Amino acid sequence: MWSRVRGWGGAAGGCCRFAARLLVGPASGRETVGAARQERRPHSKIQKLFSTSNVLSTEKDESTASKDSTTEVASKSQESTAETPKQKLLDIIGNMKVEVSYKKKLQQLKTREIKKQTTNRLEGLDSEGSMLQKTTEDTQRGKPLNPELVEAASAVASSLPRDKKQTESELLAQLRRHEETTDKQKKGGTINIRNVISEMAIKRQSSAQRGVWISNRISLELDEDGQRTKPERLSPQSFDSRRSLKVGKRLNIFTKASTEAENALKTVSSPTIWDLEFAKKVAAIAAQPPRNGFEEMIQWTKEGILWEFPIDNEAGMEDDAEFHEHIFLEKHLEGFPKQGPIRHFMELVICGLSKNPYLSVKQKIEHIEWFQNYFEEKKELLQEI
Amino acid sequence: MAARRLGSSSWPQVVLLSRRCCLPGGKREHYRCSSSSTALGKTVENSEVTHEEIVLPRRKTWNKLAVLQTLASTVNRDPTAAHYMFQDDPFLMPRNAANSRLFSLSKESGRNAAKYIIKQFPQYFDKTFAEPNISCLMPEILTPQIEGVSEEALKERIHLRRVKDSVDLFDQLVQAGTPVSLETTNSLLDLLCFYGDEESTPEKEQEEKEDLEEPEVNASEQKAPKRQFQRGSQLSGSRWRENNNAERIFKIMPERNPHSYCTMIRGMVKHGAFAKAYDMYMDLLNERHKADVHAFNALITAVPYLKDRFLERWELAKVFLNHMAQQEVQPNLLTFNALLKTLRRCGGVGRSMSLSVIKEMEALDIEPSLATYDHLLSIFYRGVDLYPSGIISEVLDDVGKRSFTPQDPDDANFFTTAMQACCDLKDIKLAYRLNKAMEKGDNWKFLDVDRLNAYWSKFFSLLCMMEQIDVVLKWYKEMSPSLFYPTPKNILDLLQALDTANHLEVIPSVWEDMKQLGFNRRHDLLEELLSLMSRDQHPEEIQLAFAKCAEDIKAVHEQSGREQVALEWTGSALGHVALLFSRAGRTQDAWNMMECFQQINRIPTDRVMDEFLNCAKQTNCPDEAIKLVKLAASLGLPSSQRLKSRTEKEFELSEKQKKTLENIQSDSDSSDSDSDRD
Repeated sequence: MWSRVRGWGGAAGGCCRFAARLLVGPASGRETVGAARQERRPHSKIQKLFSTSNVLSTEKDESTASKDSTTEVASKSQESTAETPKQKLLDIIGNMKVEVSYKKKLQQLKTREIKKQTTNRLEGLDSEGSMLQKTTEDTQRGKPLNPELVEAASAVASSLPRDKKQTESELLAQLRRHEETTDKQKKGGTINIRNVISEMAIKRQSSAQRGVWISNRISLELDEDGQRTKPERLSPQSFDSRRSLKVGKRLNIFTKASTEAENALKTVSSPTIWDLEFAKKVAAIAAQPPRNGFEEMIQWTKEGILWEFPIDNEAGMEDDAEFHEHIFLEKHLEGFPKQGPIRHFMELVICGLSKNPYLSVKQKIEHIEWFQNYFEEKKELLQEI
Repeated sequence: MAARRLGSSSWPQVVLLSRRCCLPGGKREHYRCSSSSTALGKTVENSEVTHEEIVLPRRKTWNKLAVLQTLASTVNRDPTAAHYMFQDDPFLMPRNAANSRLFSLSKESGRNAAKYIIKQFPQYFDKTFAEPNISCLMPEILTPQIEGVSEEALKERIHLRRVKDSVDLFDQLVQAGTPVSLETTNSLLDLLCFYGDEESTPEKEQEEKEDLEEPEVNASEQKAPKRQFQRGSQLSGSRWRENNNAERIFKIMPERNPHSYCTMIRGMVKHGAFAKAYDMYMDLLNERHKADVHAFNALITAVPYLKDRFLERWELAKVFLNHMAQQEVQPNLLTFNALLKTLRRCGGVGRSMSLSVIKEMEALDIEPSLATYDHLLSIFYRGVDLYPSGIISEVLDDVGKRSFTPQDPDDANFFTTAMQACCDLKDIKLAYRLNKAMEKGDNWKFLDVDRLNAYWSKFFSLLCMMEQIDVVLKWYKEMSPSLFYPTPKNILDLLQALDTANHLEVIPSVWEDMKQLGFNRRHDLLEELLSLMSRDQHPEEIQLAFAKCAEDIKAVHEQSGREQVALEWTGSALGHVALLFSRAGRTQDAWNMMECFQQINRIPTDRVMDEFLNCAKQTNCPDEAIKLVKLAASLGLPSSQRLKSRTEKEFELSEKQKKTLENIQSDSDSSDSDSDRD
């Protein structure tokens, strides 16, 4: 039955987390559970036969058992188990599991629509789990002692001169402890869920000890005392809050560098092949094929295949001059006479130059300067004329 | 440019202006400060009087991509079309994932082939037609230009990444007694360490690229880190060999600076010589040098290979970090990503320490990249038991706020990892949030074709599982051919979702898609499809549509094409098809199916035979009914008696037919007795 419970845990996506966790423990814990199961199998069968409700009273159990013509062994175990409330508790738990499974089956039949309601169911299961927890604790605390013993204890307490109440409770506590240990030894194993849980916790701790001791404090805290943290594990919220990106300590290894140091670091020598290849690799992961024609054109533009937008007649002109520097060349004529044939000639020259797309601005200026030098050289000659 | 924007009418004005204001050249800079073209016009009239300063508008330079980017942003995805890269040729429009992969790879390899030709035979590409010259279309100069034995020549060969030539030249230089500068030797070491002392060939790089693409398909399906490990060692290709040229040159170097050590460490880690890298680091410490951040990053990635136990790994990583702090090396994003990557392989230790690492990053003002989150999610959600969704939710909070640029090669894995985690947690809300983050800004670019398929197919499976059928179908229509090609599992999920929501009438269109996707020969899908269609009785039209699907399926089984072998019938498939035909009233087709049972030695179920009889009755075909009884009898079925009586009762039989029916009985009796005797 338990293994089936675990199976649903997987199927329902961890909604039976409680059940699953119980079984995730070490092998020894599972063995004890197995032993317990063997012992109570006939009993639980009977219960399944006669009632599916999880509110089972002991009297009813006994009556059904006596009425039933089971083998002697079964009835014997029935009697012995009926006496121990812990056993009863286990049965109740077992029954609850049955019901859970039954519900689940129903739901499966009822189309798979419940998928949407998984969350609801999860909550439901969780509450069931916590109920379970509560019952464990209740029975633990409210374990009935023999009334005769209680009376005797109170009598002893009253005979003593000091605080009556305290003595009584001390005595009773001692008695309870006795009974617990005897119970345990009688059964030759620990059926107590609490024990199972705590044993699991201990096991976990030891396995963790192997690898993680000093540095793994945080996770150990969760496991150190299983009893205290168990209820927390059931509710995801509280568990989450312990592991979050927002809270927690830092490593405290590094200190933040000052900005100057960072800048100093940045001024290193030319990139090595490592840097180049790393940049290529990183760029490659975001290099997706273009999704439409425009993106393809963007890619081509980047590669240099396509004319650059906006298309004008300046493509391929490398000197960073603007158009007016190409066209308006009068400013370069300052060194020439203001009028006369030379001026006239030079105006024609710049007119021609301004229409020439093949020369760079620098070349044009050089051209004009050549004339300037030329006329300078021939100045005397010209003046003679 | 400015002139053009002023319009043709204002042209003379501008000329005038420029003549005037260009003259006092010194002031021109000042003019450019403000004013617009309209203000210009006014000032022209006043200028004679007031001599106001005229300002020429500065030409506005456009980003060369601005126009295209604006245009591109207006184009949306067409949900019915395949990816843009396939649109050159309608014939080569992929129908399924395999085809799409094949086509995109072949397109890329065609490009690579062209590049190879240009590189290999540059002498045939010496004509430059274009004006201005388009340099990217011309062959690169890959042959060394400097002859002779000199350091310059060595430098050039290193620059051209000629591993063997460089080593040879270096040896020649050393033999000739010419000292090679430390810088050049270091760059030679860089080259050798990067390529692991093997020739760098373009082909190899391409192979590597394809390799890089390939694993995603597998990795998505099996999340075993072991596999990745194997791949990691294979992918590096060349292994670090004992005493290779890098080591030899390193040994004979007269002086070594930290860079020489660091590049050796990086090379050794890259090519899988992790223990050697560690020893090299020890040597570096002994020489009282300081390592650089890249070397530390490499060492941190090597940690899982140096130590076996989780705690030891973490301790070693911490040792490296402490050394960094001691040597005043400032960690970068990649340091922490490497650290988290190592923690992925540290089990529980990783889980508890990873958050401290994140806090450390925060304290140092290092913004996490997607790879950081990817490692974090892997640490928490790749385990056996499910971790609560707190961490992933916070991660998605952070991711949703930002648009990412690639910073780490592992960045690309984030979205698939996160979607896998959402699937494992069965949390559709998280998945929606993740999808929103993915669509933000340029984040979609992190998903290449294969990752895209993995991402969407996971998302779709989750949708099928958790969402209402209307929503599922909407998503399906939206993404099916244009974003990804569904996997068989997706189709199965969809069918199950349809079944759950009782929307079986959609099945024929799903079948159409299945045919397109090339899943029409998959037994598991066919079986599921047929059993869903034949489970319940539906209204007339739906039954007719179902019968059409059944016909298709029948055709698949009987296909005798050249390239494909016909699919084997299974008993149940045959029964379903027969059932569907009978429900649609196609008696003849149904009977053909019934005959097939005999051929493949299967037995039809009672349900199938009953339905067939109903059909025969409806279409008033007593002959078929008698044939059925004959069939049942010849198969020796116990139901033949019942069928016979039904036939007698429900059909109006002619005398002859009655006689045949009688004969069947006796035949079967005799055959029965025969078999008894045997």
